[in-house]
Amino acid sequence: QYRNENLEKAVCRTLSPNQILFPFSFQLDFWINPSTPALPVDVRIPANSVQAVKAFLESHGIEYSTLIEDLQVDMACSQQRDRSSNSFNYGTYNSLDSIYAELDHLASEFSNIVSKLKIGESYEKRPLYVLKFSTGGRNRPAIWIDAGIHSREWVTQASAVWIAKKVTSADPSITSLLNKMDIFLLTVSNPDGYVFTHTTNRMWRKTRSKNQGSPCVGVDPNRNWDAGFGGPGASSNPCSDSYRGPRANSEVEVKSVVNFIKNHGNIRAFLTLHSYSQLLMYPYGYKCTKPADYAELVRHNDLALSLYGTTFTVGSICTTIYQASGGSIDWSYDYGIKYSFAFELRDTGRYGFLLPVNQIIPTAEETWLGLKTIMEHVRDNSY
Amino acid sequence: MQGLSSAPPAAFLLVLVLLLRLSSLLLLPVAAVPVAERELNPSSRLAAGAARVALHYLNFQTASPGALQALGQVRKATVKSIPDSGHKYYLQFTTEDYRSGENAGSCLATVLYRKTKSPPVVNIKCMPTKDEKQIQEEDNRLYQKIRHQTKPIIGNNIPDSYGNIEPALEPVWALAVAGSSYIMWEKSTENLGYFMAQVKSVKQWIRKDDFIEFDYTVLLHEMPTQEIISCHMRLTWLPGHPLKVKYFCASENQGLEDGSGMESGSAAGILHERGANF
Repeated sequence: QYRNENLEKAVCRTLSPNQILFPFSFQLDFWINPSTPALPVDVRIPANSVQAVKAFLESHGIEYSTLIEDLQVDMACSQQRDRSSNSFNYGTYNSLDSIYAELDHLASEFSNIVSKLKIGESYEKRPLYVLKFSTGGRNRPAIWIDAGIHSREWVTQASAVWIAKKVTSADPSITSLLNKMDIFLLTVSNPDGYVFTHTTNRMWRKTRSKNQGSPCVGVDPNRNWDAGFGGPGASSNPCSDSYRGPRANSEVEVKSVVNFIKNHGNIRAFLTLHSYSQLLMYPYGYKCTKPADYAELVRHNDLALSLYGTTFTVGSICTTIYQASGGSIDWSYDYGIKYSFAFELRDTGRYGFLLPVNQIIPTAEETWLGLKTIMEHVRDNSY
Repeated sequence: MQGLSSAPPAAFLLVLVLLLRLSSLLLLPVAAVPVAERELNPSSRLAAGAARVALHYLNFQTASPGALQALGQVRKATVKSIPDSGHKYYLQFTTEDYRSGENAGSCLATVLYRKTKSPPVVNIKCMPTKDEKQIQEEDNRLYQKIRHQTKPIIGNNIPDSYGNIEPALEPVWALAVAGSSYIMWEKSTENLGYFMAQVKSVKQWIRKDDFIEFDYTVLLHEMPTQEIISCHMRLTWLPGHPLKVKYFCASENQGLEDGSGMESGSAAGILHERGANF
């Protein structure tokens, strides 16, 4: 930990370094050791010694300049510089590699609350990374958030990374959430699909698994969950963009999440991000009947998604968008996770999947407000 | 937190129910055939879908890329079952300017989805906040922008993957929306709806007269199937004149990937459309 420590370059002009005895109490750490006179020396100075060392150098007529004001920050940045020369731009659509590098950066810079977990691997063997946000406790009640299950819905992965950064901020409302609950965030649920949208087909939706006996690739991962699987609203044709797969949980991207949720045992909310349509939906999709907790879930009609005046329609999947079987929040709800919601983010069809980059951060901000409201309700209504 | 209103006493409710039943009996004409009409939740997919169909029709008929409208909010929706015909939707909704998102007024529309395979029958009346002169000026501006290009316009991926539209290509995109509206109106059913997802490619055909002509490949996003439909569209336009659109659509995701290099999507489509024995 090098927080607030300076790296100073001291040039000795007239005195040889051997003739200066730095007080041991300064706890200096020479990065470039004293060798010959007139060659600069690089020294790391602990935070509480900075003033004293500067005074000491000045009193001995030794010139110095500060190379790095706060070493901790610079080291975190340089880790990233190893992979890309720029710092991460939250206001654009980034490649998978870039996103994964940023997850590493967040986990190391905010290691007191963030850790990165690998919950499995995709069909093409890419890691599935979940960020865990926790201030301690043992298996605290937790919120699950995922994004990018449909790879072409780029504003969702982008919003999720922004949200990861947001959760690390010292905002009191966030601290108050993390005091009671953990958050698990899967920023890219379908990495194979995401890479494919960058390299080959921007409109790709599904996974990239091979389908036996068919030239068509991929399964719709949001028709593959064990909830009304095989029912209406999902296709049995591998060439379809809503192909449900050969059986429930056939997709490793889905199975990995199911396993994680089951093994954790204390997930209280399951929130998933999609685009587009500007909707906030609760179960069910596989049937058009109301869930038992309808009255409580519908209260989120007055969700504060009005940061930018963006309106979100609230309703069940079946009545609001379409009947769809094998969906994730139907599974999580029937599994026992009462607070199961699916968001459809901006816009309502003008740009659709191709949402302009200048709308990424406003979308992330308003989505965060919605998620936060739900999380606060979960925190205050333990079940 | 409980609601603030208290439940009315049971006796009062009983009286209310009796009164309602009596009044509904009195209103029914003796010889009428009841036509089932029901109120729809304005945020339901059927209501929004029907409103969009009405707007596709309007955008095509208006033939003004400068005055394209998108759905704002559905305010009221009812649907009637017409025996031997189909389902007729009665709608009231607000609209936004397609390009800017600004409020553009409100519309009343009816949309009849017929049992026979034919485009939905639309009647629509809107109160625009833009006046005729403004619309004409905007259309002329877009027209001139296209005419003043020194070379035939060609383009790909509009918007691009990042949602960006080159300013020089904005009129071409707006025209594509207008033309695609015709396709989307024709293809829409009570259960299938469309959005124009992207202009995959555009190529201008230079003409000797004042009309401008483009060859487009547009991608339509089909709901609820989630399919991306690729359509070839030939469009001709002159401000103040109707849009002329010829099109052919095929499903895109028929094994196009895997680096085989085959445009198998459209090939399969052609075979399908011409009823080949495959």
